[in-house]
Amino acid sequence: MNGCKYIKERIDEAEKPDLLSFEVTEHLGQCDDCERFAIERAALRKLVAGGTRVSAPINFDAMLNARLAEVKARRSFWRLGPTAYLRLGAAMACLVVMIFGAQYAGLFSGNNVSPPNRSQARTPASALTPIPDDDKPSTSNLANLSPAPVVAGVIGRQYPVSSGTPRVRRGDVLVGRAAPTGYLTAEDGGVVLVRGRNGDMDIQMPTVSVGAQPLLYVSAGQRTVRNVGTSF
Amino acid sequence: MAAVTHQAQAIELGGSRSVEAANDHELLAAIRDGDEVAFQELVRRYRNPITNFVYRMLDDYDRSVELAQETFIRVYTSASRYQANYSFSTYIYRIATNLAISELRRRKRRKTVSLFSPFTNDDGEAIEIDPPDLNMLQDEALIANERRSAVARAITSLPQKYRAAIVLRDVEGLSYDQIAQTLNLSEGTVKSRINRARNLLKEKLSAYI
Repeated sequence: MNGCKYIKERIDEAEKPDLLSFEVTEHLGQCDDCERFAIERAALRKLVAGGTRVSAPINFDAMLNARLAEVKARRSFWRLGPTAYLRLGAAMACLVVMIFGAQYAGLFSGNNVSPPNRSQARTPASALTPIPDDDKPSTSNLANLSPAPVVAGVIGRQYPVSSGTPRVRRGDVLVGRAAPTGYLTAEDGGVVLVRGRNGDMDIQMPTVSVGAQPLLYVSAGQRTVRNVGTSF
Repeated sequence: MAAVTHQAQAIELGGSRSVEAANDHELLAAIRDGDEVAFQELVRRYRNPITNFVYRMLDDYDRSVELAQETFIRVYTSASRYQANYSFSTYIYRIATNLAISELRRRKRRKTVSLFSPFTNDDGEAIEIDPPDLNMLQDEALIANERRSAVARAITSLPQKYRAAIVLRDVEGLSYDQIAQTLNLSEGTVKSRINRARNLLKEKLSAYI
């Protein structure tokens, strides 16, 4: 009979085996096969549903609470969980990179330079010697530098350096005292490379911009300024 | 437990409603805020259905109780992540189903052999051996007990994918929609699986129908 498959599907999908729609009931009155199917399905569903329903044991709650306490104790130790620890680690790595970056950019530099004493710190621009165009920086030039302390300025301006400049050693800080004559001041900005007997020393000033800076070599004895490369 | 129930009655949820009057979503929200009484109430509501469901899946009472407890522990620990898109019963049955299926898979890996179905057919399905009992039946209780055992054996001999669907439908009485959400399947697939499971059960339980 046509529609039996459809009717059997409706019988199977019925919320309860004895609650069939009018359409299905009407069909069952005419079709023995579908009626047999409906009776079988009802018996089967009753049989399956009528099996023993087990209940939780009496001590279910006590056992559950004990296990839950165990889980809580474990969670308090590993409260964050692996994912959270991974995120924390990534955040810490980012923080370290940021700190190094900031330190590299000089944001944490404690070498604050004292306020400039313009009258002492600067010499009139007329005293400067222009940079010879053909004076290219070379390794041999740098190797033959005078052992006397010299200062290289890294700015668009050129500064004279007096031969009587006191030697600046690594670790010398200009905080709290006036900059000696011939030194660059904070207001001037830029990276100062001090070259002396004890090696090189970078003094980073608050106005330094981030990035490669040109390094100019100023020879105190010869009063010349040469471009010797970039700051890194 | 009685003390907990009295406590549940005494403590008010949300300022005006008691824990027992609160619906499942409200209880979950209270659990999220660390309300232990709300959790106890949720356990009281679902411990028997969940234990029964897992028991029907595994046919092992002790292990069913353990997995039911594990279900509640997961509900508690993931309460903060619970999203009330579906009914809570769907959510908790899904957890229980996943645990039961994992247990069945673990057992399958262990290759345990049932005394009632030591052989499998070409499809890997267990072939049940039901030797006739020639002894006289004692009384109705024994008959009923025998029938229940046969039903339990028939259900546990079903393939895993059919078993969860038929137990949720015919034992726990969930709707097709809820079963589809619980098993993460389409409603059509659920209907098909239930139909197939009933046909298999009809073959196995023909003597009792």
